[in-house]
Amino acid sequence: MHANFGSSLGGISYPMLADFHPKGAMADSMGVYKADRGMTDRATVIVDAKGVVRHASSTGKRDMEALAAICEEIDQAHEDLPALTRPAGLAAGATVYVRDRCAASRAVALARTNLHLEDQLTVKNVSQNPAFLAELKELSGAETAPVLWIAGEVVAESSQIVGHLADRCSAL
Amino acid sequence: MIEIGSDAPDFSLVDQFGRKITLSQFRGQKHVLLLFYPLDFTPT
Repeated sequence: MHANFGSSLGGISYPMLADFHPKGAMADSMGVYKADRGMTDRATVIVDAKGVVRHASSTGKRDMEALAAICEEIDQAHEDLPALTRPAGLAAGATVYVRDRCAASRAVALARTNLHLEDQLTVKNVSQNPAFLAELKELSGAETAPVLWIAGEVVAESSQIVGHLADRCSAL
Repeated sequence: MIEIGSDAPDFSLVDQFGRKITLSQFRGQKHVLLLFYPLDFTPT
């Protein structure tokens, strides 16, 4: 669900967490779960690198400029954090083979959108192009999709593919 | 609402890429911004 929502917003690469089971438990631990309505409040909590809560507010429409200023103020107070590192990214020529009416292929496509990999990861739909299917069989020995072809290696299983992409392309 | 200045309770939840994200993994590394919202496909 979160992958679809993130994709609908143009792609969300930072973690979208499922506070699903037990329902709202994490939100409740932060005091932002509305048990009478069975849903989480629209709220903001900032935890600094020492694990201390520095900001907590219930909000209507978020004032992102004000929030950015608060984040900057918290960051200024911590000068001993390691520098941010850029993600490694994908090897040149990375290609994912997908097929139509395939939930696993859809999951990989959503990850590509959420990680903004449109320019780094080529998509080849084997359901729509027999040449791609032939390519896939030659590379992987089978016609099963989705398959990620990267740096001369085959990565199969959508969970493995999505994890591989996130590990190399997420700033987390 | 959790009290400012208190220690945040740790948690481990799965993200949209299937990764387990734990609050304490950021200790000493990064600050964490938690944006809570009621439902997907509604204003965040």
